[in-house]
Amino acid sequence: MKLIITDLEEFNIPVEGEYKLIKPQGDIRHCIGCFGCWIKTPGECVIQDGYEKTGADMGKCTEMILISECCYGSVSPFVKTLQDRSISYIHPDFIMRKGEMHHKRRYTNVITVTAHFYGENITEEEKQTARNIMEANADNYDGCVKEVHFYKSAKELEGIIL
Amino acid sequence: MKIALLNGSPKVQNSASGALLEDLKRYITEKADVVNYSLHRPVISETVLEELQKADAWVFAFPLYVDGIPGHLLSCLRQLEKVALQNPNRHIYGIVNLGFYEGIQAEYALQILRNWCVKTGYVWSGGIGVGGGGSLAMMPSAEQGKGPKAPVDKALAVLSDKILKLETCENAYVSVAFPRFLYKMAAQMGWRQCIKQNGGKKKDLGRKL
Repeated sequence: MKLIITDLEEFNIPVEGEYKLIKPQGDIRHCIGCFGCWIKTPGECVIQDGYEKTGADMGKCTEMILISECCYGSVSPFVKTLQDRSISYIHPDFIMRKGEMHHKRRYTNVITVTAHFYGENITEEEKQTARNIMEANADNYDGCVKEVHFYKSAKELEGIIL
Repeated sequence: MKIALLNGSPKVQNSASGALLEDLKRYITEKADVVNYSLHRPVISETVLEELQKADAWVFAFPLYVDGIPGHLLSCLRQLEKVALQNPNRHIYGIVNLGFYEGIQAEYALQILRNWCVKTGYVWSGGIGVGGGGSLAMMPSAEQGKGPKAPVDKALAVLSDKILKLETCENAYVSVAFPRFLYKMAAQMGWRQCIKQNGGKKKDLGRKL
């Protein structure tokens, strides 16, 4: 299953195969750093606003596709807030990976990360930061990066197939 | 000179970001006008925006979330980019704390802040990545430069000197002076205690939905 996370309210991109789409539908509340998703309701965020199950959705996907405005080399606040709220995908315990501390797996699926960043005037430095962060995300998910693409506008994305 | 300390943790109290800013403040408070601001939420009030205009330097402190800047703080940065603030020569510093042991894992979060400076026209002036940050808010206060926080204190002292001179510096990455295997073990024991305190069992930590 492909898990598509986007900040686009109007999503008009064709997708091949089975997928789940998470896009802005009502306000999203930000992570408050309580770790309730690890110690109170393990696997699910404690904030019940419709976005609390993203960590579990990640546990069921084979590919995670992020479609986001590029924000200084980061994903946008909406997509980032979803990522912050879905750390329950991983286990709180630490493990060493590539010589660095990361979190253990909760699920057995291996996520392949693809990112599509859009925005006017994305600088080369921002592109490099975005690529670095996708690699770092994949290391933390114990997955891998498939592709990272950049577009000058969200409109350009309508010409691709996911 | 006026220095604004911006706490970007979503936690209202007992945050590692707050603890680091308090430690930094001890080095600069007698030599500059230092004011604390809280960026706990995704929107900055008009009053705080007006106050921020008066500062020569902004020091952001925040936790590393999923290899980057927390979503709510990213919203604040966009708001700050959109409002035309005076003083384009304002110096920006960053202090990132992370639960992982290696401070270097904060590198990309500092890159985001540097990229934001390019967009806003402010002067990116360097920062610190503090590994083992999960333990900072709980550490008992020790004499400055002593105990597990000694490497952090040293990095803060160097940064404070640069801030007071409005100079730029290379990013520095440090970890608490506590063996990595013990830090890992202590964290794991802590999670088990926490889940029990919340009525769960140890095995629930790995629950799959």
